[in-house]
Amino acid sequence: MLSIKQNLLETIQGGNPDRFVKQYEFLDIIMETPMELALCPGPGTEIVNSWGVTVRWPKGQIGSFPVHDAEHIVLKDITEWRKYVKAPSVDYPEERWTAAIEHVNSVDRNEKYVTTLVAPGVFELTHYLMSMEEGLMAFYEEPEAMHELIDYITDWEIRYAKQVIDHLHPDALFHHDDWGSQISSFISPATFEEFLLPAYKKIYGFYKANGVELIIHHSDSYAANLVPFMIEMGIDIWQGVMSTNNVPELIKKYGKQITFWGDIDSGKIDTPDWSQEVIAQNVEHACRECGKLYFIPGASQGLNISSFPGVYEAIDVEIDNMTKKMF
Amino acid sequence: MSKIEEVKALVEAGKSKKIAAAVQEALDAGDKAQDILDAMVASMSVVGDKFSAGEIFVPEMLIAAKSMSKGVEVLKPVMAGDTSNSLGTCIMGTVAGDLHDIGKNLVVMMLESAGFDMIDLGVDVPAEKFVEAIKENKNVVLVACSGLLTTTMPALKEAVQTVKAAFPDMKVIVGGAPVTPEYAAEIGADGYAPDAGSAAVKAKELVA
Repeated sequence: MLSIKQNLLETIQGGNPDRFVKQYEFLDIIMETPMELALCPGPGTEIVNSWGVTVRWPKGQIGSFPVHDAEHIVLKDITEWRKYVKAPSVDYPEERWTAAIEHVNSVDRNEKYVTTLVAPGVFELTHYLMSMEEGLMAFYEEPEAMHELIDYITDWEIRYAKQVIDHLHPDALFHHDDWGSQISSFISPATFEEFLLPAYKKIYGFYKANGVELIIHHSDSYAANLVPFMIEMGIDIWQGVMSTNNVPELIKKYGKQITFWGDIDSGKIDTPDWSQEVIAQNVEHACRECGKLYFIPGASQGLNISSFPGVYEAIDVEIDNMTKKMF
Repeated sequence: MSKIEEVKALVEAGKSKKIAAAVQEALDAGDKAQDILDAMVASMSVVGDKFSAGEIFVPEMLIAAKSMSKGVEVLKPVMAGDTSNSLGTCIMGTVAGDLHDIGKNLVVMMLESAGFDMIDLGVDVPAEKFVEAIKENKNVVLVACSGLLTTTMPALKEAVQTVKAAFPDMKVIVGGAPVTPEYAAEIGADGYAPDAGSAAVKAKELVA
Protein backbone atom coordinates (compact mmCIF):
# COMPACT_ATOMS: atom_id res chain seq x y z
CA MET A 1 0.00 0.00 0.00
CA LEU A 2 1.35 3.39 -0.95
CA SER A 3 1.85 6.04 1.70
CA ILE A 4 -0.49 9.02 1.64
CA LYS A 5 2.18 11.13 -0.05
CA GLN A 6 3.16 8.44 -2.58
CA ASN A 7 -0.48 7.92 -3.49
CA LEU A 8 -0.94 11.65 -4.04
CA LEU A 9 2.13 11.80 -6.27
CA GLU A 10 1.02 8.78 -8.29
CA THR A 11 -2.35 10.48 -8.78
CA ILE A 12 -1.06 13.86 -9.90
CA GLN A 13 1.80 12.45 -11.98
CA GLY A 14 -0.39 10.01 -13.88
CA GLY A 15 1.15 6.92 -12.32
CA ASN A 16 -0.47 4.06 -10.45
CA PRO A 17 -2.30 5.22 -7.33
CA ASP A 18 -3.79 2.40 -5.29
CA ARG A 19 -6.78 4.41 -4.04
CA PHE A 20 -8.49 7.77 -4.36
CA VAL A 21 -6.80 10.62 -2.52
CA LYS A 22 -9.09 11.43 0.37
CA GLN A 23 -9.66 15.19 0.40
CA TYR A 24 -7.13 17.00 2.64
CA GLU A 25 -5.40 13.86 3.96
CA PHE A 26 -2.05 14.75 2.38
CA LEU A 27 -1.85 18.28 3.80
CA ASP A 28 -0.89 19.19 7.33
CA ILE A 29 -1.83 22.86 7.38
CA ILE A 30 0.14 24.88 9.90
CA MET A 31 -2.65 27.06 11.19
CA GLU A 32 -0.43 28.44 13.97
CA THR A 33 1.58 30.40 11.37
CA PRO A 34 1.34 34.14 11.98
CA MET A 35 -1.37 35.16 9.56
CA GLU A 36 -2.36 38.78 9.73
CA LEU A 37 -4.72 38.21 6.84
CA ALA A 38 -7.07 36.49 9.25
CA LEU A 39 -9.11 33.99 7.32
CA CYS A 40 -12.36 34.88 8.98
CA PRO A 41 -13.88 35.71 12.33
CA GLY A 42 -15.88 33.16 14.29
CA PRO A 43 -19.64 32.86 13.73
CA GLY A 44 -21.49 35.87 15.10
CA THR A 45 -18.34 37.99 15.48
CA GLU A 46 -16.22 40.38 13.46
CA ILE A 47 -12.53 41.17 13.16
CA VAL A 48 -10.48 43.94 11.61
CA ASN A 49 -7.54 42.41 9.76
CA SER A 50 -4.17 44.06 9.58
CA TRP A 51 -5.03 45.70 6.23
CA GLY A 52 -7.85 47.43 8.09
CA VAL A 53 -10.62 45.39 6.48
CA THR A 54 -13.58 44.65 8.75
CA VAL A 55 -14.72 41.08 8.20
CA ARG A 56 -18.03 40.09 9.76
CA TRP A 57 -19.68 36.69 10.21
CA PRO A 58 -23.35 37.46 10.90
CA LYS A 59 -25.26 35.04 13.09
CA GLY A 60 -27.05 32.31 11.18
CA GLN A 61 -24.84 32.63 8.09
CA ILE A 62 -22.39 29.99 6.84
CA GLY A 63 -19.53 32.37 6.15
CA SER A 64 -18.04 35.81 6.64
CA PHE A 65 -18.18 38.94 4.51
CA PRO A 66 -15.98 42.03 4.30
CA VAL A 67 -17.96 45.12 5.33
CA HIS A 68 -18.09 47.94 2.80
CA ASP A 69 -20.42 50.58 4.17
CA ALA A 70 -19.15 54.15 4.24
CA GLU A 71 -17.93 53.76 7.80
CA HIS A 72 -15.87 50.60 7.19
CA ILE A 73 -14.63 50.62 3.59
CA VAL A 74 -10.83 50.96 3.50
CA LEU A 75 -10.08 52.08 -0.04
CA LYS A 76 -12.37 54.97 -0.90
CA ASP A 77 -10.74 55.98 -4.18
CA ILE A 78 -8.54 53.67 -6.24
CA THR A 79 -6.65 56.60 -7.74
CA GLU A 80 -5.51 57.48 -4.23
CA TRP A 81 -4.77 53.95 -3.06
CA ARG A 82 -1.44 54.97 -1.53
CA LYS A 83 -3.30 57.24 0.87
CA TYR A 84 -5.62 54.49 2.08
CA VAL A 85 -3.79 51.17 1.77
CA LYS A 86 -0.99 50.30 4.16
CA ALA A 87 0.48 46.81 4.05
CA PRO A 88 1.11 45.30 7.47
CA SER A 89 4.57 44.41 8.66
CA VAL A 90 5.77 40.86 8.04
CA ASP A 91 8.41 41.04 10.76
CA TYR A 92 6.88 39.10 13.60
CA PRO A 93 8.57 38.61 16.96
CA GLU A 94 10.26 35.20 17.06
CA GLU A 95 7.88 33.94 19.73
CA ARG A 96 5.01 34.31 17.27
CA TRP A 97 6.60 31.46 15.29
CA THR A 98 7.13 29.07 18.20
CA ALA A 99 3.83 27.18 18.01
CA ALA A 100 4.05 26.90 14.23
CA ILE A 101 7.61 25.54 14.38
CA GLU A 102 6.57 22.98 17.01
CA HIS A 103 3.73 21.86 14.77
CA VAL A 104 6.06 21.60 11.76
CA ASN A 105 8.50 19.49 13.76
CA SER A 106 5.75 17.04 14.65
CA VAL A 107 4.84 16.30 11.02
CA ASP A 108 6.11 13.15 9.31
CA ARG A 109 7.15 14.72 6.02
CA ASN A 110 7.35 11.30 4.38
CA GLU A 111 3.63 10.96 4.90
CA LYS A 112 2.27 14.49 4.65
CA TYR A 113 3.12 17.89 3.24
CA VAL A 114 3.90 20.65 5.71
CA THR A 115 1.55 23.25 4.31
CA THR A 116 1.27 26.97 4.68
CA LEU A 117 -2.00 28.76 4.03
CA VAL A 118 -2.53 32.17 2.46
CA ALA A 119 -6.00 33.75 2.35
CA PRO A 120 -7.41 35.93 1.01
CA GLY A 121 -5.49 36.12 -2.24
CA VAL A 122 -4.40 39.04 -4.38
CA PHE A 123 -7.68 39.49 -6.28
CA GLU A 124 -9.74 38.93 -3.15
CA LEU A 125 -7.75 41.52 -1.25
CA THR A 126 -8.43 44.15 -3.92
CA HIS A 127 -12.18 43.73 -3.49
CA TYR A 128 -11.94 43.26 0.29
CA LEU A 129 -10.39 46.72 0.34
CA MET A 130 -12.86 48.53 -1.92
CA SER A 131 -15.92 46.28 -2.57
CA MET A 132 -16.48 43.88 -5.42
CA GLU A 133 -18.20 46.33 -7.74
CA GLU A 134 -15.58 49.06 -7.37
CA GLY A 135 -12.78 46.52 -7.56
CA LEU A 136 -14.07 45.01 -10.78
CA MET A 137 -14.68 48.36 -12.43
CA ALA A 138 -11.23 49.59 -11.47
CA PHE A 139 -9.61 47.02 -13.79
CA TYR A 140 -11.17 48.95 -16.69
CA GLU A 141 -11.51 52.48 -15.42
CA GLU A 142 -8.22 52.91 -13.57
CA PRO A 143 -5.92 50.19 -14.91
CA GLU A 144 -2.70 51.97 -13.96
CA ALA A 145 -3.76 52.33 -10.34
CA MET A 146 -4.89 48.69 -10.28
CA HIS A 147 -1.52 47.56 -11.62
CA GLU A 148 0.18 49.57 -8.89
CA LEU A 149 -2.08 48.22 -6.15
CA ILE A 150 -1.62 44.62 -7.33
CA ASP A 151 2.16 45.11 -7.47
CA TYR A 152 2.04 46.45 -3.92
CA ILE A 153 0.04 43.46 -2.65
CA THR A 154 2.29 41.06 -4.57
CA ASP A 155 5.39 42.59 -3.05
CA TRP A 156 3.86 42.19 0.40
CA GLU A 157 2.95 38.55 -0.31
CA ILE A 158 6.51 37.76 -1.35
CA ARG A 159 7.95 39.40 1.75
CA TYR A 160 5.51 37.37 3.84
CA ALA A 161 6.44 34.21 1.91
CA LYS A 162 10.10 34.78 2.71
CA GLN A 163 9.34 34.86 6.43
CA VAL A 164 7.26 31.70 6.24
CA ILE A 165 9.89 29.87 4.20
CA ASP A 166 12.73 30.96 6.49
CA HIS A 167 10.89 29.82 9.60
CA LEU A 168 8.90 26.77 8.51
CA HIS A 169 10.40 25.43 5.26
CA PRO A 170 6.99 24.30 4.03
CA ASP A 171 6.59 21.58 1.39
CA ALA A 172 3.29 22.89 0.08
CA LEU A 173 1.39 26.14 -0.29
CA PHE A 174 -2.40 26.23 -0.02
CA HIS A 175 -3.39 29.59 -1.47
CA HIS A 176 -6.92 30.94 -1.65
CA ASP A 177 -8.19 33.38 -4.27
CA ASP A 178 -11.70 32.98 -5.66
CA TRP A 179 -11.64 33.92 -9.30
CA GLY A 180 -15.22 33.34 -10.32
CA SER A 181 -18.87 32.87 -9.59
CA GLN A 182 -20.42 29.44 -9.97
CA ILE A 183 -20.94 29.98 -13.68
CA SER A 184 -18.25 32.36 -14.93
CA SER A 185 -14.91 33.91 -14.11
CA PHE A 186 -15.23 37.35 -12.54
CA ILE A 187 -12.91 38.92 -15.08
CA SER A 188 -12.14 38.04 -18.67
CA PRO A 189 -9.17 35.82 -19.50
CA ALA A 190 -7.48 38.82 -21.15
CA THR A 191 -7.85 40.95 -18.01
CA PHE A 192 -6.68 38.05 -15.87
CA GLU A 193 -3.63 37.60 -18.09
CA GLU A 194 -2.75 41.27 -17.85
CA PHE A 195 -3.23 41.79 -14.11
CA LEU A 196 -3.22 38.56 -12.11
CA LEU A 197 -1.03 36.19 -14.11
CA PRO A 198 2.14 38.28 -13.64
CA ALA A 199 1.41 38.66 -9.91
CA TYR A 200 0.96 34.95 -9.36
CA LYS A 201 3.92 33.99 -11.52
CA LYS A 202 6.02 36.03 -9.11
CA ILE A 203 4.39 34.67 -5.95
CA TYR A 204 4.23 31.00 -6.90
CA GLY A 205 7.61 31.24 -8.61
CA PHE A 206 9.10 32.52 -5.36
CA TYR A 207 7.67 29.65 -3.32
CA LYS A 208 8.85 27.06 -5.86
CA ALA A 209 12.32 28.60 -6.09
CA ASN A 210 12.59 28.27 -2.34
CA GLY A 211 11.79 24.62 -1.84
CA VAL A 212 8.01 24.47 -1.94
CA GLU A 213 7.15 21.42 -4.02
CA LEU A 214 3.42 21.70 -4.33
CA ILE A 215 1.22 24.69 -5.11
CA ILE A 216 -2.47 24.14 -4.41
CA HIS A 217 -4.78 26.97 -5.38
CA HIS A 218 -8.32 27.25 -4.00
CA SER A 219 -11.05 28.82 -6.10
CA ASP A 220 -14.47 27.26 -5.51
CA SER A 221 -15.92 28.61 -8.69
CA TYR A 222 -16.06 28.35 -12.39
CA ALA A 223 -12.60 29.13 -13.79
CA ALA A 224 -12.20 26.64 -16.65
CA ASN A 225 -11.28 29.53 -18.96
CA LEU A 226 -8.33 30.37 -16.69
CA VAL A 227 -6.74 26.90 -16.52
CA PRO A 228 -3.97 27.68 -19.07
CA PHE A 229 -2.91 30.58 -16.82
CA MET A 230 -3.07 28.37 -13.73
CA ILE A 231 -0.61 26.04 -15.42
CA GLU A 232 1.61 28.90 -16.50
CA MET A 233 1.79 30.37 -13.00
CA GLY A 234 2.81 27.02 -11.54
CA ILE A 235 -0.31 25.64 -9.87
CA ASP A 236 -0.07 21.88 -9.38
CA ILE A 237 -3.57 21.32 -8.02
CA TRP A 238 -6.71 23.43 -8.45
CA GLN A 239 -8.79 22.81 -5.33
CA GLY A 240 -12.48 23.67 -5.25
CA VAL A 241 -13.17 23.09 -8.93
CA MET A 242 -16.96 23.09 -9.20
CA SER A 243 -18.98 20.74 -11.36
CA THR A 244 -19.97 23.67 -13.59
CA ASN A 245 -16.45 23.53 -15.07
CA ASN A 246 -16.98 20.15 -16.80
CA VAL A 247 -14.15 18.57 -14.84
CA PRO A 248 -13.88 15.37 -16.92
CA GLU A 249 -13.27 17.52 -19.99
CA LEU A 250 -10.64 19.58 -18.15
CA ILE A 251 -8.86 16.42 -17.01
CA LYS A 252 -8.79 15.13 -20.58
CA LYS A 253 -7.41 18.42 -21.86
CA TYR A 254 -5.01 19.50 -19.11
CA GLY A 255 -4.61 16.57 -16.71
CA LYS A 256 -0.96 15.96 -17.46
CA GLN A 257 -0.17 19.54 -16.42
CA ILE A 258 -2.51 20.17 -13.50
CA THR A 259 -4.68 18.12 -11.14
CA PHE A 260 -8.29 18.95 -10.37
CA TRP A 261 -9.62 18.59 -6.82
CA GLY A 262 -13.36 18.84 -6.33
CA ASP A 263 -16.29 18.15 -8.69
CA ILE A 264 -18.47 17.80 -5.58
CA ASP A 265 -20.20 21.15 -4.97
CA SER A 266 -20.46 21.96 -1.26
CA GLY A 267 -23.74 23.79 -1.93
CA LYS A 268 -25.38 20.53 -3.04
CA ILE A 269 -24.24 18.28 -0.21
CA ASP A 270 -23.25 20.46 2.75
CA THR A 271 -26.71 21.47 3.86
CA PRO A 272 -28.57 21.42 7.19
CA ASP A 273 -30.55 18.36 6.05
CA TRP A 274 -27.57 16.56 4.44
CA SER A 275 -27.81 12.84 3.92
CA GLN A 276 -25.30 10.04 3.40
CA GLU A 277 -27.27 8.93 0.36
CA VAL A 278 -26.98 12.28 -1.45
CA ILE A 279 -23.29 12.49 -0.60
CA ALA A 280 -22.79 8.94 -1.89
CA GLN A 281 -24.48 9.82 -5.19
CA ASN A 282 -22.38 12.96 -5.65
CA VAL A 283 -19.10 11.25 -4.75
CA GLU A 284 -19.82 8.27 -7.00
CA HIS A 285 -20.76 10.52 -9.91
CA ALA A 286 -17.56 12.57 -9.51
CA CYS A 287 -15.30 9.53 -9.20
CA ARG A 288 -16.83 7.67 -12.12
CA GLU A 289 -16.85 10.71 -14.41
CA CYS A 290 -13.40 12.03 -13.53
CA GLY A 291 -11.48 8.79 -13.03
CA LYS A 292 -8.41 7.83 -11.06
CA LEU A 293 -5.72 10.14 -12.42
CA TYR A 294 -5.22 13.90 -12.14
CA PHE A 295 -8.32 14.01 -9.95
CA ILE A 296 -8.96 14.27 -6.22
CA PRO A 297 -12.58 13.85 -5.16
CA GLY A 298 -13.65 16.36 -2.57
CA ALA A 299 -16.08 19.08 -1.62
CA SER A 300 -15.40 22.55 -2.98
CA GLN A 301 -15.01 23.89 0.59
CA GLY A 302 -11.66 25.62 1.03
CA LEU A 303 -10.54 23.86 4.21
CA ASN A 304 -10.78 20.42 5.83
CA ILE A 305 -14.10 21.30 7.41
CA SER A 306 -17.76 21.40 6.48
CA SER A 307 -20.45 23.96 7.19
CA PHE A 308 -22.65 21.33 8.84
CA PRO A 309 -21.28 18.74 11.28
CA GLY A 310 -20.54 15.30 9.88
CA VAL A 311 -20.48 16.17 6.19
CA TYR A 312 -16.68 16.18 5.76
CA GLU A 313 -16.38 12.77 7.40
CA ALA A 314 -19.31 11.41 5.38
CA ILE A 315 -17.51 12.39 2.17
CA ASP A 316 -14.41 10.50 3.34
CA VAL A 317 -16.55 7.39 3.92
CA GLU A 318 -17.94 7.59 0.40
CA ILE A 319 -14.50 8.13 -1.14
CA ASP A 320 -13.37 4.95 0.61
CA ASN A 321 -16.41 3.19 -0.85
CA MET A 322 -15.50 4.38 -4.32
CA THR A 323 -11.92 3.16 -3.82
CA LYS A 324 -13.33 -0.30 -3.08
CA LYS A 325 -15.46 -0.17 -6.21
CA MET A 326 -12.93 1.28 -8.65
CA PHE A 327 -9.45 0.13 -7.52
CA MET B 1 -20.65 58.62 -36.54
CA SER B 2 -23.73 60.58 -35.45
CA LYS B 3 -23.88 61.90 -31.92
CA ILE B 4 -26.52 59.39 -30.94
CA GLU B 5 -24.45 56.53 -32.31
CA GLU B 6 -21.53 57.83 -30.33
CA VAL B 7 -23.63 57.72 -27.14
CA LYS B 8 -24.64 54.18 -27.96
CA ALA B 9 -21.04 53.10 -28.50
CA LEU B 10 -19.86 54.79 -25.29
CA VAL B 11 -22.48 52.95 -23.20
CA GLU B 12 -21.57 49.63 -24.76
CA ALA B 13 -17.89 50.26 -24.13
CA GLY B 14 -18.56 51.50 -20.58
CA LYS B 15 -16.91 54.88 -21.00
CA SER B 16 -18.52 56.55 -18.00
CA LYS B 17 -16.13 59.51 -18.00
CA LYS B 18 -17.08 60.52 -21.55
CA ILE B 19 -20.78 59.78 -21.62
CA ALA B 20 -22.17 62.93 -20.01
CA ALA B 21 -20.49 65.19 -22.54
CA ALA B 22 -21.57 62.96 -25.42
CA VAL B 23 -25.22 62.99 -24.29
CA GLN B 24 -25.11 66.77 -23.94
CA GLU B 25 -23.60 67.09 -27.41
CA ALA B 26 -26.35 64.88 -28.84
CA LEU B 27 -28.99 67.09 -27.20
CA ASP B 28 -27.25 70.21 -28.47
CA ALA B 29 -27.15 68.72 -31.96
CA GLY B 30 -30.93 68.41 -31.87
CA ASP B 31 -31.37 64.73 -31.00
CA LYS B 32 -34.49 64.11 -28.94
CA ALA B 33 -33.98 63.02 -25.35
CA GLN B 34 -36.29 60.08 -25.93
CA ASP B 35 -34.20 58.88 -28.89
CA ILE B 36 -31.00 59.17 -26.86
CA LEU B 37 -32.57 57.20 -24.02
CA ASP B 38 -33.81 54.54 -26.44
CA ALA B 39 -30.31 54.26 -27.88
CA MET B 40 -28.84 53.71 -24.43
CA VAL B 41 -31.51 51.12 -23.55
CA ALA B 42 -30.69 49.31 -26.79
CA SER B 43 -26.98 49.37 -25.88
CA MET B 44 -27.67 47.83 -22.51
CA SER B 45 -29.75 45.17 -24.18
CA VAL B 46 -26.73 44.29 -26.35
CA VAL B 47 -24.53 44.28 -23.24
CA GLY B 48 -26.98 41.95 -21.46
CA ASP B 49 -27.07 39.55 -24.39
CA LYS B 50 -23.28 39.49 -24.60
CA PHE B 51 -23.06 38.75 -20.88
CA SER B 52 -25.59 35.93 -21.17
CA ALA B 53 -23.59 34.51 -24.07
CA GLY B 54 -20.36 34.63 -22.05
CA GLU B 55 -18.77 37.14 -24.43
CA ILE B 56 -18.27 39.76 -21.73
CA PHE B 57 -17.82 39.56 -17.97
CA VAL B 58 -19.20 41.26 -14.87
CA PRO B 59 -16.89 44.33 -14.96
CA GLU B 60 -17.87 45.17 -18.54
CA MET B 61 -21.53 45.03 -17.55
CA LEU B 62 -20.88 47.16 -14.47
CA ILE B 63 -19.11 49.91 -16.38
CA ALA B 64 -21.78 49.89 -19.10
CA ALA B 65 -24.53 50.28 -16.49
CA LYS B 66 -22.55 53.02 -14.77
CA SER B 67 -22.20 54.83 -18.10
CA MET B 68 -25.89 54.59 -18.82
CA SER B 69 -26.70 55.90 -15.38
CA LYS B 70 -24.45 58.92 -15.93
CA GLY B 71 -26.04 59.51 -19.33
CA VAL B 72 -29.53 59.36 -17.83
CA GLU B 73 -28.51 61.99 -15.28
CA VAL B 74 -28.00 64.43 -18.17
CA LEU B 75 -31.37 63.52 -19.70
CA LYS B 76 -33.36 63.75 -16.46
CA PRO B 77 -33.88 67.53 -16.38
CA VAL B 78 -34.95 67.45 -20.03
CA MET B 79 -37.38 64.59 -19.52
CA ALA B 80 -38.66 65.64 -16.07
CA GLY B 81 -42.22 64.56 -15.50
CA ASP B 82 -42.30 62.25 -18.51
CA THR B 83 -43.17 58.82 -17.13
CA SER B 84 -44.12 57.26 -20.43
CA ASN B 85 -40.77 55.47 -20.63
CA SER B 86 -41.20 53.56 -17.41
CA LEU B 87 -42.03 49.89 -17.58
CA GLY B 88 -43.34 50.22 -14.03
CA THR B 89 -41.84 49.66 -10.61
CA CYS B 90 -39.91 46.53 -9.68
CA ILE B 91 -39.25 45.54 -6.07
CA MET B 92 -36.05 43.55 -5.69
CA GLY B 93 -34.16 41.92 -2.85
CA THR B 94 -32.01 39.00 -1.76
CA VAL B 95 -34.17 36.73 0.38
CA ALA B 96 -34.02 36.21 4.15
CA GLY B 97 -30.88 34.61 5.51
CA ASP B 98 -28.81 35.43 2.44
CA LEU B 99 -26.34 38.32 2.40
CA HIS B 100 -25.11 38.01 -1.18
CA ASP B 101 -25.63 41.22 -3.08
CA ILE B 102 -23.44 41.24 -6.19
CA GLY B 103 -25.79 39.26 -8.43
CA LYS B 104 -28.76 41.17 -7.07
CA ASN B 105 -27.04 44.50 -7.71
CA LEU B 106 -26.28 43.50 -11.29
CA VAL B 107 -29.92 42.61 -11.88
CA VAL B 108 -31.03 45.93 -10.36
CA MET B 109 -28.73 47.76 -12.78
CA MET B 110 -29.86 45.79 -15.80
CA LEU B 111 -33.56 46.17 -15.00
CA GLU B 112 -33.11 49.86 -14.36
CA SER B 113 -31.33 50.17 -17.70
CA ALA B 114 -34.22 48.35 -19.35
CA GLY B 115 -36.69 50.92 -18.07
CA PHE B 116 -37.95 49.73 -14.70
CA ASP B 117 -38.09 52.00 -11.66
CA MET B 118 -36.18 49.91 -9.17
CA ILE B 119 -36.79 49.67 -5.44
CA ASP B 120 -33.82 47.78 -4.00
CA LEU B 121 -34.65 46.29 -0.60
CA GLY B 122 -31.09 45.06 -0.13
CA VAL B 123 -30.12 41.69 1.33
CA ASP B 124 -31.59 39.39 3.98
CA VAL B 125 -35.11 40.56 3.13
CA PRO B 126 -37.97 38.84 5.02
CA ALA B 127 -40.89 37.70 2.85
CA GLU B 128 -43.29 40.20 4.44
CA LYS B 129 -41.03 43.10 3.48
CA PHE B 130 -41.61 42.40 -0.22
CA VAL B 131 -45.36 42.66 0.42
CA GLU B 132 -44.97 45.89 2.40
CA ALA B 133 -42.90 47.38 -0.42
CA ILE B 134 -45.60 46.56 -2.96
CA LYS B 135 -48.11 48.41 -0.78
CA GLU B 136 -45.82 51.37 -0.17
CA ASN B 137 -44.80 52.03 -3.78
CA LYS B 138 -46.74 53.12 -6.82
CA ASN B 139 -47.24 51.12 -10.00
CA VAL B 140 -45.46 47.97 -8.84
CA VAL B 141 -45.59 45.47 -11.69
CA LEU B 142 -42.85 43.03 -10.77
CA VAL B 143 -41.11 41.49 -7.75
CA ALA B 144 -37.63 40.04 -8.21
CA CYS B 145 -36.16 37.71 -5.57
CA SER B 146 -32.55 36.58 -5.51
CA GLY B 147 -30.89 33.79 -3.55
CA LEU B 148 -27.37 32.43 -3.87
CA LEU B 149 -27.25 29.80 -1.17
CA THR B 150 -28.75 26.33 -1.33
CA THR B 151 -29.62 26.84 2.33
CA THR B 152 -31.81 29.83 1.54
CA MET B 153 -33.88 28.15 -1.17
CA PRO B 154 -36.76 27.67 1.33
CA ALA B 155 -36.67 31.44 1.99
CA LEU B 156 -36.98 32.02 -1.75
CA LYS B 157 -40.06 29.82 -1.80
CA GLU B 158 -41.52 31.64 1.19
CA ALA B 159 -40.93 35.03 -0.43
CA VAL B 160 -42.65 34.01 -3.67
CA GLN B 161 -45.59 32.41 -1.89
CA THR B 162 -46.06 35.30 0.54
CA VAL B 163 -46.16 37.79 -2.34
CA LYS B 164 -48.54 35.60 -4.32
CA ALA B 165 -50.83 35.12 -1.32
CA ALA B 166 -51.16 38.88 -0.85
CA PHE B 167 -51.10 39.85 -4.56
CA PRO B 168 -52.12 36.85 -6.68
CA ASP B 169 -51.69 38.74 -9.96
CA MET B 170 -48.26 40.18 -9.16
CA LYS B 171 -45.54 38.87 -11.44
CA VAL B 172 -42.58 37.38 -9.61
CA ILE B 173 -39.19 36.54 -11.11
CA VAL B 174 -36.49 34.56 -9.28
CA GLY B 175 -32.83 33.83 -9.83
CA GLY B 176 -29.54 32.90 -8.23
CA ALA B 177 -26.93 30.19 -8.64
CA PRO B 178 -28.84 27.23 -7.15
CA VAL B 179 -32.19 28.16 -8.73
CA THR B 180 -33.40 26.16 -11.73
CA PRO B 181 -36.36 26.80 -14.05
CA GLU B 182 -38.00 23.73 -12.53
CA TYR B 183 -37.59 25.01 -8.98
CA ALA B 184 -38.89 28.43 -10.00
CA ALA B 185 -42.03 26.83 -11.46
CA GLU B 186 -42.42 24.54 -8.43
CA ILE B 187 -42.47 27.47 -5.97
CA GLY B 188 -44.94 29.43 -8.09
CA ALA B 189 -42.69 32.06 -9.65
CA ASP B 190 -43.75 33.43 -13.03
CA GLY B 191 -40.26 33.68 -14.38
CA TYR B 192 -36.67 32.57 -13.92
CA ALA B 193 -33.43 33.99 -15.25
CA PRO B 194 -29.98 32.40 -15.05
CA ASP B 195 -28.08 35.71 -15.16
CA ALA B 196 -28.52 39.48 -15.06
CA GLY B 197 -28.61 39.88 -18.84
CA SER B 198 -31.44 37.44 -19.34
CA ALA B 199 -33.21 38.79 -16.23
CA ALA B 200 -33.84 42.05 -18.08
CA VAL B 201 -35.19 40.21 -21.13
CA LYS B 202 -37.45 37.98 -19.01
CA ALA B 203 -38.67 40.88 -16.85
CA LYS B 204 -39.76 42.82 -19.92
CA GLU B 205 -41.57 39.74 -21.22
CA LEU B 206 -43.43 39.28 -17.94
CA VAL B 207 -44.82 42.82 -17.84
CA ALA B 208 -45.52 43.17 -21.56
